[in-house]
Amino acid sequence: MKQQPLLSINDLTMVYKTRKGFVSAIDGVSFDLNKGETMGLVGESGCGKTSIAMTMLKLIPDNAIIQKGQILLDGVDLVPMSNGHIQRIRWRKIAMVFQAAMNSLDPVYKVGDQIIEAINQHEDDINPSEARERVSGLFQLVGIDPKMMDHYPHEFSGGMRQRAVIAMALACNPDLIIADEPTTALDVIVQDQVLREIRNIREKLNMSMIYISHDIAVIAEVSEKIGVMYAGRLVEMARANDIFKRPTHPYTVALMSAFPSIIGPKTKLVSLGGEPPDLLYPPPGCRFHPRCLFASEVCREEKPDFVRHDDHHFVACWHPVEVP
Amino acid sequence: MDGLSSNHNPIMKVEGLKMHFPMGNSYFSKAKSYIHAVDDINFAIPVGKSLALVGESGCGKTTTGKLLVRLYDPTGGHIFIKGENNELVDLAGLKGKQLKKFRRRVQMIFQDPYESLNPRLSIFDTVAEPLVVQGLGSLVEREEKAAILLEQVGLTPATSFMFRFPHELSGGQRQRVAIARALVVDPDFVVADEPTSMLDVSIRTGVMNLMMELADKYGISYLYITHDLAVARYTSQEIAVMYMGKIVERGETEEILGNPVHPYTHALISAVPIPDPAYKRQVPNIKGGISKPINPKPRCRFFERCAKAETICEMNDHPPLLDRGAGHFVACYVV
Repeated sequence: MKQQPLLSINDLTMVYKTRKGFVSAIDGVSFDLNKGETMGLVGESGCGKTSIAMTMLKLIPDNAIIQKGQILLDGVDLVPMSNGHIQRIRWRKIAMVFQAAMNSLDPVYKVGDQIIEAINQHEDDINPSEARERVSGLFQLVGIDPKMMDHYPHEFSGGMRQRAVIAMALACNPDLIIADEPTTALDVIVQDQVLREIRNIREKLNMSMIYISHDIAVIAEVSEKIGVMYAGRLVEMARANDIFKRPTHPYTVALMSAFPSIIGPKTKLVSLGGEPPDLLYPPPGCRFHPRCLFASEVCREEKPDFVRHDDHHFVACWHPVEVP
Repeated sequence: MDGLSSNHNPIMKVEGLKMHFPMGNSYFSKAKSYIHAVDDINFAIPVGKSLALVGESGCGKTTTGKLLVRLYDPTGGHIFIKGENNELVDLAGLKGKQLKKFRRRVQMIFQDPYESLNPRLSIFDTVAEPLVVQGLGSLVEREEKAAILLEQVGLTPATSFMFRFPHELSGGQRQRVAIARALVVDPDFVVADEPTSMLDVSIRTGVMNLMMELADKYGISYLYITHDLAVARYTSQEIAVMYMGKIVERGETEEILGNPVHPYTHALISAVPIPDPAYKRQVPNIKGGISKPINPKPRCRFFERCAKAETICEMNDHPPLLDRGAGHFVACYVV
């Protein structure tokens, strides 16, 4: 029997209304996430990966309109939910770690107090000493000395701030954590430490996670399955190994061959011509067709469906690449 | 001692370069402490080759870049550039007209193309500005030159870009404009400070390939400043690893990445994520976090974070950068 996925997104479509028209930020995205599973969402800036995260928490600006689709969390649709109701889901069920830890901490409050505030905000029946104790436990979990609770953000190093923000996300024991480029601003050695911490915590707490990054190397390290986004659409999704061994969408292939590595033979990287489309005027058919080497008539006219390529491997392409 | 002789034909040679920034300096008091941002570094870059300067934020790599183009006046040391008759000219002491003349030969590409282009200047004005400053060519000639450069950097047709403004261009296109601006005066040497770190993967590769093609075509040497070892490997024949104002290891790229000797280089390499889920990396063997080199103690700069540190590292000054054979330089007492 197949277990019910923790999160199931169906045909999610969201636009930003601007003076010039509608910006098609998310177009028909569907995926499932099981309990305890980590999914990496990779793509370039403006491809809609952060928009998906924000839409799930309904942290979208007023000009964002969810045109259709469902976001089912444990079978309950978040899309029609009122703000008051969503407020009860945020942090308790879904928590988020943002990219710039510096900006997610208030410089004039002690770090511990900020986490306690988050707990109080989302759980009414908790007394102050319990909350404090929990924060101390969280600090230990993410590898910060609990004494640092009574220090201010400027006294934390970049890596510690990011750990504190992760501790804050864990504060209400959520089922799902969305991490949006949590290590992008960090130096490589600190990034490595934070990535290890994230993996440890995930294993310890058996938590589900959506990890958003533009860096396929980082995604490769943390994810069990990987979704590749391009211009507001999910173009390919598969188990991490499959994506890297047998990339099928021409965009995924291009992304892989544009990425330098410090191991393996040094090869000339192939750059993808052109630029991602302006989503005010997305190209018809497949949104990747203007840059695609395999584009044909059908790609210019009809949008490819997101179909099962083989077991656990989905792709939205008329001419999927076959790697032997 | 520093083995510079191994580089037979350097376009740029740096000896004992230092930049110490005073701290807490005010009108009424003298500085009590100094940040040793760049502290006695030596390297040479052969004609037509590129050196990647890698390290974490705050290690002094950008300061080094800015020193080479004389955006800072060095506290000490020499910056030699090959002159017209193959003689080495020291830039460190140049002033006024001589400095301006030299600026024609050494250019810089900055990290953020959203910040480095003047929003009020058209693309033509931006690219032609160095020519105006240097007093080169007539207006028509400048226009021709700018058009050639724009074509070279892939902004074609040039006429459709010449009279646009930066806000009309994407990040990748802006960085191409910045490259065109740097190359318009036919420099021999370009300092590229993280030129692709703000760009997306699919755009980044194009810009890196472009820079390498132009280097081949015009015999330009780069000092390629980056925090990304994979980018360093791709763009440069040699790598220098910086830590707290010191170069701790330097040598041929594949040699450094394949056989790192210094404990810091080891840690840095093992911390780089690999785009292959099946690959298992080692845990970087390093303690603590990076700190600022404010009045550093006379011992190895890496002492506090080093897993292999011994008494000798604490009792002596920072180790000299010595050749361990075949141009692989390491500054370490222990390994």
